[in-house]
Amino acid sequence: MLRTALIIARKDLRLTIGRSGDLAQAAALGLLLIFIFSLSLAPGQRMSAQSAAAIFWMASAFCQVIIFSMLHAYEENNGQKQGLLLAPMPVQSVWLGKALAGIVLLMIAQALFVPALIVFLGQEFGPVWKAGPSVVLVCDIGIAGAGSLMGALVQGQSGKESLLGILVFPLLTPLFLGGIRVGSLAFGGADEGIGDWMGICLAFDAVFIAAALPLFPFAYNAEG
Amino acid sequence: MLLRLRDIARFYGPRLIFSDISLDLSGGEILLLCGPNGAGKSTLLKIIAGLMRPASGKVLCDKELNIGMIGPQSCVYSELSASENLRFWADLHGCRFSDKDMQDMLERMRLAAFADEKAGTFSTGMLQRLNLARVFMLRPDLLLLDEPASGLDEPSLAVLWNETAAAAERGAGIVMITHHPREAPLSNCRVALLENRRLCVYDGIDAFPGRENGPPAAGTAAAAPAGGERRC
Amino acid sequence: MRNGTTPKQNTRNGLFRLIPPAALFAGLALALCWGLVFEYAPKESTLGLPQKIFYLHLPLAWWALTGFFLTFVAGAAYLCTGREHWDAAGAACAEVSLVFAFLAVISGSIWARASWGVWWTWDARLTTALIMCFVYAGYLILRRPDMPPARRARISAVLGIAAFLDVPLVFFSARLWSYIHPPSISLEPEMKMTLAACLVAFAPLWLCLTALRMKIDLDGRRLDALQAARLLREDRCRDKREVQL
Repeated sequence: MLRTALIIARKDLRLTIGRSGDLAQAAALGLLLIFIFSLSLAPGQRMSAQSAAAIFWMASAFCQVIIFSMLHAYEENNGQKQGLLLAPMPVQSVWLGKALAGIVLLMIAQALFVPALIVFLGQEFGPVWKAGPSVVLVCDIGIAGAGSLMGALVQGQSGKESLLGILVFPLLTPLFLGGIRVGSLAFGGADEGIGDWMGICLAFDAVFIAAALPLFPFAYNAEG
Repeated sequence: MLLRLRDIARFYGPRLIFSDISLDLSGGEILLLCGPNGAGKSTLLKIIAGLMRPASGKVLCDKELNIGMIGPQSCVYSELSASENLRFWADLHGCRFSDKDMQDMLERMRLAAFADEKAGTFSTGMLQRLNLARVFMLRPDLLLLDEPASGLDEPSLAVLWNETAAAAERGAGIVMITHHPREAPLSNCRVALLENRRLCVYDGIDAFPGRENGPPAAGTAAAAPAGGERRC
Repeated sequence: MRNGTTPKQNTRNGLFRLIPPAALFAGLALALCWGLVFEYAPKESTLGLPQKIFYLHLPLAWWALTGFFLTFVAGAAYLCTGREHWDAAGAACAEVSLVFAFLAVISGSIWARASWGVWWTWDARLTTALIMCFVYAGYLILRRPDMPPARRARISAVLGIAAFLDVPLVFFSARLWSYIHPPSISLEPEMKMTLAACLVAFAPLWLCLTALRMKIDLDGRRLDALQAARLLREDRCRDKREVQL
């Protein structure tokens, strides 16, 4: 399963990078959100670390919706999905492949968001900022696991981006809360129960990976 | 026996597409499937492939089949080049496939000159050829071809018939949807007509009456047991 | 596609026949509870009258959560068996429970206003109920009528399962997030008694609404199945006639 998942992820990354507009669209939406939120600040004012972290995750959430509806759309146009379903591999390979590609793309976008937070929202790195990327990765695993599953649910429906957002945003609440709390620490906020939050994020990752593995084949095979 | 269909029925919403479809297919056999538009040929093919569940009836295979299918769509990623497309599907199927094999296949499909061009720039016929290259390259046990000749010029048609015959020779079962069964230069093939929700199978093109002779006599099809309610 | 009337269908219809008496019982039980809430249970000393919301709020939230759990169970059962009455059950539970959860959130918000002076607080239970409202609203939006029924049933089963797995995560994260822990009220024995009666009285109400919703859904499907069976029968008759000719 891992072998075929990596083949699919590599292909998806190739498609996305080859067609750079797609990722740029996702990243641009996030950056735009961050910029718009800077309008809530008076000149010279600095946004609190927690607000900045919340905006970071909101930008990531919108980005995730675009990324996963895009990744699943690659198989929509020319019937490639049929080819994937007939390939001798567990269907879950598709889920894993899209999730892996999604993590990479999401992290590329998030790497662009961080400087934007510093510039537009006046953030500075706190003493423990080095822990940031690993926390972001833990959250992104859950986001990608859920996004890859839900992306398959809304595939082929009209207005699928907004539908995906409606389904995924509330489900991801625990991750967002955890990400915001830990993220505010990276920007110099107060340390409050970081261990517990990491526990919740890891539990979310575990629950959604464990749920997606049996559920994905039902979500992916369109015609009953 | 490679594949057995027993009493397959399928609805489209409340409309019955076909029912009581039974069919046997053995390895090395070619079945040409024809019938008017909307008779459910493509649906039947999807049911055979396992992509769709029948409303009633069973699809039985002796072993896990490696299925290659040509649908109405090209199954090609338009942002990847022709060779990248083939490489992706070969990798996914775990096929050991050298660059030379790939080159040969592209040459046979007369796509070698465009191997590194993005498939998005291809014409319909070229896409169909690339799709055929993909399926024949994977050497499936069961080939399901939905109007594979559409959009192909004469030389490409010759390649199609050659490859199909070669696949049958090495023991693959083939079901091919075509509107012109008499034009297929294939020996030893059976013809099946899907019409009026029933499937009639004829042993060879000569036995096939063609549609100008009116609807075939009922009863040549798998006998329909009367009155029995079916469940999935 | 399942045609005809099976023995199971008959027992199901038998169960649905219990809806009117159950509804009557629910009405009487709720009327009795109203009496208990305003006449029997004592007035709370600090909060006063708004505390009575509690008797409405808690049963709504409980039965909503139970319904969401049953959506989860029905989803799993559908994916295992492929029988469409599980799909109808899951959808009915989600729909009725969404209404309950929504009312629980509104009553909770009024409660928050009365006791802490704000319309919203990060109370773990209230937040969880709100998030669940969003999730199951998404579930109902996803169930579009224009989708092929088998696909719709499958994807809503998948979502129903994933959504309920999220409930504990949302609850714990909301609890960890909140600074304000609502002071626990010590309940008088009469209050406990009233609360228990309300919890029980809401059960038949929830059950009736869900069963009714499910019945409507199943009746629609049954019509489709009968139509399909008729087509199949007509088709076979024509076949026989042709053989005779």
